[in-house]
Amino acid sequence: MASSSKPEPGVTVLNLASLNIQQLDQLKSSVEEDVGLLTTSMAQLKIVQQKYLESKSAINYTAPASEGKEILVPLTSSMYVPGLLKHNDTFMCDIGTGYYVEKKHKAALEFFQRRTDYVTSNLEKLQQSLKEKYKLRESIISTMQAKFH
Amino acid sequence: MASLKEKEKVLQDEIEKFKDIQKDIQKCVSKRKQLEGQLTENKTVKEEMDVLEDDAVVYKLIGPALIKQELSEAKDTVVKRLDFIAREISSCEDLYKEYEKKQEGMTEKLAKLQQEYQKAVIAAGGGMMKK
Repeated sequence: MASSSKPEPGVTVLNLASLNIQQLDQLKSSVEEDVGLLTTSMAQLKIVQQKYLESKSAINYTAPASEGKEILVPLTSSMYVPGLLKHNDTFMCDIGTGYYVEKKHKAALEFFQRRTDYVTSNLEKLQQSLKEKYKLRESIISTMQAKFH
Repeated sequence: MASLKEKEKVLQDEIEKFKDIQKDIQKCVSKRKQLEGQLTENKTVKEEMDVLEDDAVVYKLIGPALIKQELSEAKDTVVKRLDFIAREISSCEDLYKEYEKKQEGMTEKLAKLQQEYQKAVIAAGGGMMKK
């Protein structure tokens, strides 16, 4: 059902006037469903983006200069044990599907930069289609109002 | 009167079958979505592995433990996975098409049955009114 309302918004807009109220209402709820889906996807992507940014800054403040520094390692959320930072030029990166790769400082930074870029570009794409959906929704509503009067 | 009840039963059965098919289609769609997600995830992993140096240290998460693995072995696994997922997706698509065809046939049949049933109801109602 949802797929039938998706192809090029231009085509759908042209047809709007020829639909009756019920069809318009159906189309509107289908578009609203899509909007909801896109909004949740965006929220999730933003969380992921934040995580990658945090990982990146975490790499930065464990830079080589902090070798030998004392840190507190959380065992639980309320219990910490002291530790020494050692060999801090290698990082374990989760590259997905259960695979972890050891990366040097620079490579790890690059890795997170790549991931952040990827997520950001997807976010932009989503934003674009969300905009289109909103436009479509608006024109559906105005067509509906025109039909009522 | 008997024929009206019979018709109602036939219609009821047909509606049940139609609902079942719709459920199957739903299942098919969600499976397809899940596979699509796995495909993208594995693709990004493959891309990441492709840019790694040959002597990179790779670990695989098995249960709670990280096990060291050769990069070539890990690559093979991911490629195999990609193949498998692609095959699953195409079989899922075939199934979907089959269901859709079935559903189409059923929609027509249902519409016809509904019409017949309505006619029968009207005929029966008309008979009662005359009395």
